[in-house]
Amino acid sequence: MSRGTIWVVAVVVGLVHSIVFADQPAKEARVAELVKEVGNKGWIVYGARCKNDTWDLYASRPDGSQWRNLTKTPDFEEGAPRFSPDNKQLLFRRFAKGTRIHHDKWGFQGRLVIANADGSHPVVVGEEGEYPWAAWSPDGRKIACLKPKGIEIVDLATKKVVRTLPRKGIYQQLFWSPDGKWFCGTANNLGENWNIARMNVETGELNAVHTFRNCTPDWFPDSRHIIFSNRPADQPGNKGHGWTQLWMADGDGKESRLIYGEDGYHIYGGALSPDGKYVLLTKTREDGGGSERSGGPICVMRTADAPTIGGKSSELRKVHPDTKDGPVLQLRRGWEPCWTYKEIFATQ
Amino acid sequence: MLDLQGDLRNAMSASATVTPLPCRTDLVTWFFLAALVCSSCGPNPDSGEDAQVTTLGSLEVTAELEEIRGQFPNLPNYDYAFVFKYRVLEVYRGELKSDTLYVGHYNPLKPRDGVKDARVKEIGGNLGRFRVGELHRMALEVPIDDYYMGGIVNRYFKEKVGPIYWAVWTNRVVK
Repeated sequence: MSRGTIWVVAVVVGLVHSIVFADQPAKEARVAELVKEVGNKGWIVYGARCKNDTWDLYASRPDGSQWRNLTKTPDFEEGAPRFSPDNKQLLFRRFAKGTRIHHDKWGFQGRLVIANADGSHPVVVGEEGEYPWAAWSPDGRKIACLKPKGIEIVDLATKKVVRTLPRKGIYQQLFWSPDGKWFCGTANNLGENWNIARMNVETGELNAVHTFRNCTPDWFPDSRHIIFSNRPADQPGNKGHGWTQLWMADGDGKESRLIYGEDGYHIYGGALSPDGKYVLLTKTREDGGGSERSGGPICVMRTADAPTIGGKSSELRKVHPDTKDGPVLQLRRGWEPCWTYKEIFATQ
Repeated sequence: MLDLQGDLRNAMSASATVTPLPCRTDLVTWFFLAALVCSSCGPNPDSGEDAQVTTLGSLEVTAELEEIRGQFPNLPNYDYAFVFKYRVLEVYRGELKSDTLYVGHYNPLKPRDGVKDARVKEIGGNLGRFRVGELHRMALEVPIDDYYMGGIVNRYFKEKVGPIYWAVWTNRVVK
């Protein structure tokens, strides 16, 4: 190849690169801004595989820095942490070593453990499978559990069931709203399949929040909105099965909208920062959130940047031309992250 | 390895040199005899009765699977119950107010004898596949929510049919 030809090829490659990656520096600058913004906003805690391949609880700053193993339990698998409302404790599930944590049934698996927010002093609260889908009450003194016979509210000090409500078709992923007035969960009987439901804690009245192929709901801090995963119908991608996206809706189900989607990925693990300004999510190629494998990259974005679409996602962009394409900060791999603005380590 | 074709060719050529006409008659006779035997080889009648279907659940029926609405969802990572529409032919135990039944079967792509799992333990039967028009003898419970806690695919939801029964035991019936 002559020197002239080499020069021509180099110039063409350079031009193509500059066209394809023209907005890369701008994108990086926006992500860097987000890193700076969230870096000192408390901690996120999540399950992740450690060096010996078991699941432990990990913590990092929301920008991914100061990453550390909280539990270091090579003889167990641990995951699905949730900060108590006062941020002083963590509730999570501990599974026998080697357990395949099922993305759809993990709340029925393993034993409930409550520890300090930094993972220290873990106390096993129940036996295997006991207190299924345990969720904190707003005062942190009780938990709500989802059992075949109904929703049981259990006093943590006495372990006594203080109230039972009919579950009315809710079958997984129960969460209690911060204001104490509502439960949300995944439910039957409100649509063809996999519906998000809201239940009035006082009356037991149930309403549909979003129907058809939804799961993993959780509350916004305002107790008025719910974040959840949704796989809308009629997506041509993934051989016609479509991709799971992260959505939000108001509690009475009148309005719903996309938060984040990316063709080629299933989006799960939706959770909010304590002030609702930021969203946590995980993305995986395989459906389900990755608890059976190694989770997926945990991502942070601004709620105000919703809807945001990642990657090329040409099909999704046709459906949501209003995408803001906000910056998305990608952290380590994990599963079911949660966020506190409190300093959870004594030495901080 | 057996060479059946070769054996047959040898036999036929040997016969052909000795007695060609009687051999042809024999073959035709054997063909008709075989056809007669095969025509009476259909599955034996089976009422679907067994120790489980007659004792489990609170309702026992024989019903025709009238409709499978749409295709089964392709969800290999999920367990779910799928609602089928049946026309009831006979009630053995329990009471029914309608001759149309809506029944939720767990993981319908699996044969009933291999469908139970760690969370849904007390179900089964001998039915291999769900086909419209076939008859099933079933032990049922109602309502489904009292016996099964998991996703239900109910394509009759908009028609507000109910109640949805839970299939505990499902055997094939042959008339």
